[in-house]
Amino acid sequence: MRSFIVIAFVTACGGSPESTGTVCPDPDPMTLTWDNFGHEFMAKYCTWCHESDLPRSKRNGAPLYHDYDSLLGVIETPDHIDQQAGFGPNANNEFMPPGRCPSTPGGSLDTNCPQPTADERTKLAEWIACERNRDHHFLDAGVDAP
Amino acid sequence: MYMRLWITGTLLLSASSARADHVHTVDHDGAHPFGAGVSMLAASFSTMLYSGNYQGVVPAVHWSHDRFAAGANVGLYRLEKNGAQFYGVGDVVVHGQVVLVGQHPVHAGVTAALSIPVGDQLRGMSMGHPMAMPALFGTYMFDRATVTATAGYSHAIAANSEHDHGMWPIVDPMNMVEFTWSAAGDVTLTRELHCGPVLSGGVPIGDGDNRVIGALRATWGSGRLSTAAELQLGLVGDPFIVRGVVSTALGF
Repeated sequence: MRSFIVIAFVTACGGSPESTGTVCPDPDPMTLTWDNFGHEFMAKYCTWCHESDLPRSKRNGAPLYHDYDSLLGVIETPDHIDQQAGFGPNANNEFMPPGRCPSTPGGSLDTNCPQPTADERTKLAEWIACERNRDHHFLDAGVDAP
Repeated sequence: MYMRLWITGTLLLSASSARADHVHTVDHDGAHPFGAGVSMLAASFSTMLYSGNYQGVVPAVHWSHDRFAAGANVGLYRLEKNGAQFYGVGDVVVHGQVVLVGQHPVHAGVTAALSIPVGDQLRGMSMGHPMAMPALFGTYMFDRATVTATAGYSHAIAANSEHDHGMWPIVDPMNMVEFTWSAAGDVTLTRELHCGPVLSGGVPIGDGDNRVIGALRATWGSGRLSTAAELQLGLVGDPFIVRGVVSTALGF
């Protein structure tokens, strides 16, 4: 019975998304922003499936309302991004991107997904940590709400 | 009477969890202490984040002796969600049962289940952590009818406290912490054929969603073999739109 319980707990601890624990430096250095990091990262690795224009049937399993083609979409689910793809002091998460990706947004899974480097994943977690603390005025900035 | 107890056991345990994966057949007649069964299910779902369908095959084994029973099952699934298709295994569930009151027409006891997360959480086939699911059950047998009620408590074990995924997994939705309940009726139509309604659900403790499932169930049993068919509707909380389950079990 002890072995059974141990196996159960080891299994449970082996593969669950976990927050990286990354904290934005104080004061925010503004070295990582949507314009100089986030936009390119999302376009390279995420928006093949996490794109607001993609209907359910074209998302290759990506959940609705997890759309990263805009900063607004990113800061609506910062925890999920951190827990799925970020590297930090508490966790190195490599759940996303998956193994297979479409070569065109919404297409079939016909190619291997490009994978972020460890440095990119670390920057992702830091950018998310900082971005969630920043003031955003999307409507004032002319960005459409979904 | 043994057949009715057999069916009651099937009803209450399946209703208590409200999940086809956890349809535990328990043979009370003592003549067949061991058993094996399989459930086949198909469902369509549409939640806030996902829509699609899934099909599953859930093999199960069980053992019973006197007041005690135990079993285990695991589901194998094909899941289609938001345009993607996956195949995989669900969580393993082991369960036990003790009948504390066994005087006709009342039977009552304790049941407990533990799920072991061997499936793929991200794809929607696993809870991602163990779940402990103890429950109380009670049954009252009338002349040609049986009513059963359960009340339980389910709690995530060793889960990341900041990772509340809501109702999950897609193939077996429940909250990380919740009260569970069920009520079921079973009417004897012939010696072999029974049918009745099942209503079950979960009430989240903390974050989560209420869940209510209504079902109609027909069971046919003869000798060592019993087969049940159940049509389930997700009434509250989007556990699924509709799900059909056919289960058959053989005692040894």
